[in-house]
Amino acid sequence: MTAITHYTTSTVNEFQKLKRTFAFWLTIISALFIPIIYLLYYLIKYKQLIPTEGVNPWDKFIVEQIRAAVPLLVPMFIVLVTSLIVQIEHKSSGLKHLFALPIPKWSIYFGKLTAVVCTIIIAYTLFFIFMVSVGYIVGMIHEELKFVSFTPNYFENIKLLFRSFIAILGIVGLQFWLSFRMKNFIIPLGIGTVLIVTGLIVYRAEEAVYFPYAYNMLSLFPIDKDLDSLIWFPTVSIYSLGYFLLFSLIGYIDINRKNIT
Amino acid sequence: MNQLIVKTKNLNFSYTKTRKDIEDLGLEVPKGSIYGFLGPNGSGKSTTIRLILGLLKKQSGNVSLFNKEHTAKTRLENLDKIGALIENPSLYGHLNAVENLKIAANYRNGISLERINEVLEIVKLTHAKKKKVKAYSLGMKQRLGLAVSLLSNPELVILDEPTNGLDPKGIIEMRTLIKELNEQYGTTIFISSHLLSEIEKTCTHVGIIRDGKMLYQDTVKALKQSKGKKMMVDLEVDKFIDAMTVLEELNKENTSLTDEFIQIEVESKTEITTVIDALRAKNIAVYQVSIKNNLEELFLSLTEN
Repeated sequence: MTAITHYTTSTVNEFQKLKRTFAFWLTIISALFIPIIYLLYYLIKYKQLIPTEGVNPWDKFIVEQIRAAVPLLVPMFIVLVTSLIVQIEHKSSGLKHLFALPIPKWSIYFGKLTAVVCTIIIAYTLFFIFMVSVGYIVGMIHEELKFVSFTPNYFENIKLLFRSFIAILGIVGLQFWLSFRMKNFIIPLGIGTVLIVTGLIVYRAEEAVYFPYAYNMLSLFPIDKDLDSLIWFPTVSIYSLGYFLLFSLIGYIDINRKNIT
Repeated sequence: MNQLIVKTKNLNFSYTKTRKDIEDLGLEVPKGSIYGFLGPNGSGKSTTIRLILGLLKKQSGNVSLFNKEHTAKTRLENLDKIGALIENPSLYGHLNAVENLKIAANYRNGISLERINEVLEIVKLTHAKKKKVKAYSLGMKQRLGLAVSLLSNPELVILDEPTNGLDPKGIIEMRTLIKELNEQYGTTIFISSHLLSEIEKTCTHVGIIRDGKMLYQDTVKALKQSKGKKMMVDLEVDKFIDAMTVLEELNKENTSLTDEFIQIEVESKTEITTVIDALRAKNIAVYQVSIKNNLEELFLSLTEN
């Protein structure tokens, strides 16, 4: 087998392992969580939410939901889903089996990491689809909300989600390594939670641009003053990708050297 | 000389700095053998297996598999010819047996769906193939683990305590299966166990390990002969003191440490009849005569201080 087939085999296998796991359901539940709250909010309080004449109600509707999700829900989801996906292997004591198979170790590590990143992309996609669907549902029930007369600003909204996605990759690299290394699920979870909270406290500081757990907040409110014109790759995105590559590489080198017990 | 499938030379490994867990271990598994790797709990059996497979990094020494040194270069090529079951089988509880086997098959080249059904048949799990593995009993999991290791028709099967958690019927089935594999396909089988009886019944070769050191390594036949021709026999009689006098006349000494049995040494089985006749002639009732298992004793004397 070539390197590419090793990698694709490993990645496909990782997806098969996700069948019927809690990680799979967590992805759907997390993506549904805020849209459901907004569904109820717009159904109950619709009288206060009727937009002024000529204003697109979608902008407020979607940006508010993204803002609600970004500080805590998104990073917590990342920490949880990464731990859960790697935990499938620890729970079945699968690492000793995998590392004794005629496949390169890197294909196991990066195949699983790919599965984690894809799950996160799926979560973002579902989140967007659910937000738009909820908008149309409430729009059809209460026509005065004007959701049906306007269309969502797809391009700008996707850009905002994309910035958030790139900004969390730095955390993914680190959390994945921690989860892979430790059989105990609580340790990466605890470390992740503490660092997320730290991120929420420090994100306003100038130095937060070096702290990956603050990037998701920063992806919404860039501190390098490009507020008005949202670009696809702000500074934090570049740093986040850098951290992702760095942690993935260190993680792999560490796992490769490690004794599997 | 026979080709060696597994060979280790001066293998050393320790988990901590204070203690050597594997010391100068030299293991030699000939092609086509059933090699029993015997030792008490915590003697380093699993550690050795992990070193052979490269899961643990050896501190010094050599490991050769299929006559090639096991290094980063030859790792994949060697592993391709090995099926291993290490301690608890690695199975995904939320998936059923077929899904587990499919995942294992995907990691290797060209394993068909028929082969999956075939190995399920071999380990007698066809009836439970759609059941989630977490609902399996320990014995069933062990068997499915074995099925996974057999998938690729490997040249070498490494089984770490394969009868753990199996019921007596399962143990006998496992034994037959191992012998069949060896006889029909010429598969070399490496089994670790802490049970001597297990090894004695299945294996052609044996290696005994204690505290990470190889104490004895040869064929099972040679092990049986090494204790000499003399047999130890236990006798249970009604009149203990009378019996002792009779035995003294026959120049037999009681070597037993308990009062329940008299233990004597005999040269051959015919001598046992002579002893019984002599005892019966004095009207001493003989309730039980049993030949002690030499191997058991040898194993204990080898592995205990």
